[in-house]
Amino acid sequence: MSLRATRRATLKGISRAAALLGMSGAAAFLVRKAEGRVVWQIDTARCINSRAGEVGVKVCDLCLKECVVTQSAVRAVNEYSQCGRCNICPAYFNVTSAVSEKGVPSEKLCPRDAISRKPIGEVDPSDPANNFYEYVIDEAKCDGCGKCVMACKEPAGLGSIRLVVRHNLCVNCNSCAISTACPKDALTQLTVPESISASSRPAHSQS
Amino acid sequence: MPYRLAKTFGGKGSGRGQFPSAITGLALGARGRLLVSGGPHVQVFDSETGVPLARWPAGSPALSVAVDSSQRIFTGHEGCIEIHNAAGVLLDTWKSADRLGQVTSIAFAKDSIYAADSRNRLIRRYSPSGQWMNDIGGDNPTRGFVIPNGILTCAVDAPGVLHAANPGKHRIERYSPDGKLLSKAGKFDQLDPAGFPGCCNPTYLALDARGNLYVTEKAPPRVKALNPDGRLISVIATTDLDPLAKNCPIVVDARGRVFVADPVRLVIHVYEPTSTEKAL
Repeated sequence: MSLRATRRATLKGISRAAALLGMSGAAAFLVRKAEGRVVWQIDTARCINSRAGEVGVKVCDLCLKECVVTQSAVRAVNEYSQCGRCNICPAYFNVTSAVSEKGVPSEKLCPRDAISRKPIGEVDPSDPANNFYEYVIDEAKCDGCGKCVMACKEPAGLGSIRLVVRHNLCVNCNSCAISTACPKDALTQLTVPESISASSRPAHSQS
Repeated sequence: MPYRLAKTFGGKGSGRGQFPSAITGLALGARGRLLVSGGPHVQVFDSETGVPLARWPAGSPALSVAVDSSQRIFTGHEGCIEIHNAAGVLLDTWKSADRLGQVTSIAFAKDSIYAADSRNRLIRRYSPSGQWMNDIGGDNPTRGFVIPNGILTCAVDAPGVLHAANPGKHRIERYSPDGKLLSKAGKFDQLDPAGFPGCCNPTYLALDARGNLYVTEKAPPRVKALNPDGRLISVIATTDLDPLAKNCPIVVDARGRVFVADPVRLVIHVYEPTSTEKAL
């Protein structure tokens, strides 16, 4: 065998090995990416407080009561793109309370005062109804009681508020207490990519 | 004034006199014809008996229906208004992707035709020949009507004043043809039936010859009659409509009979005043 042939065979072997290494590395990366992390999340189509198609149902507060985290890891969020920005939001006001001098209900619905209301644009003092209003939920105050979610549900509201599990608060129990108690099996486990879950790791795994 | 439920007709289905998916508008024509829009057809019923008389396919789903003094039938659609003769033959189409975003109500005055465009939250005023003249309802901080329910409705009274429901502001507003706000009636109240409850009521409205207003509400669904000043005359219905019904078209005839559509059960209820006041 000539020297040239030996060198060619060696180079061929090296490039084949490099290609194999590259392929296996890429495969391992893809597998790792596909696996991701398993997290708990709420299916809004099942959750009693948010699922459409029924009215007159009592608010379910099991997310508040059953979560092992002191202030439940479940919080309410407002999807702004679906919010009507109403003057009188049934999730903000207790609409059954007496009407105040300002023409709006005198009491708020949230027991923790976690929702704020501010007008969008200039307020016409002679006609406060003449505005859109922005409703922001302070998640630090919210404990996931579900009252605002139920009040915002269609047809009374537009269904823009829903409950979510905050993964930076959830301790990711193997057997989630809320999931066990939920009568509608609304809590499900999802696999999310590391890239998404890394920014919202459970508190106990951040150290 | 008390009312009684006199008749219910329609129902879910694809047969004659039924509705496969939606009821979006009611209008009354000559000889007691009740026109109903929604789904793939415009349908005509005998308002006395509820018997279906005719139907024709809509070019696209009709979002509203109205009948002018010449018995031409106007249907509102996404991007256009179609005009048919009494037999359902298409006479004309007014198209405007910008000004006729979603036409959920049409009303007639002597020299004007009003088209409520829910996409842009404005009422468009047209000449009888279809020339756009001006917009109504945009000269305020909300830049239009506040309609979280997605429906904008209007009606014109005998003197030619335009009445429009502004549910997000819990009131009915009256406008001159050039768009000047003349007055407003109504306020929020969840407990007093004289008020408008929830986030956004009323949704649909109709007028009788005396200027009395008839409105429908959602959550819970309710039908009410108000005098021309907006004061409550009667709660016509609370229990007949599906609890999930939120946009219930309404129309009233010369005898004071009130027709209300239930868009969930896809039926039309007819209410009759039981007192001697029923002849208008």
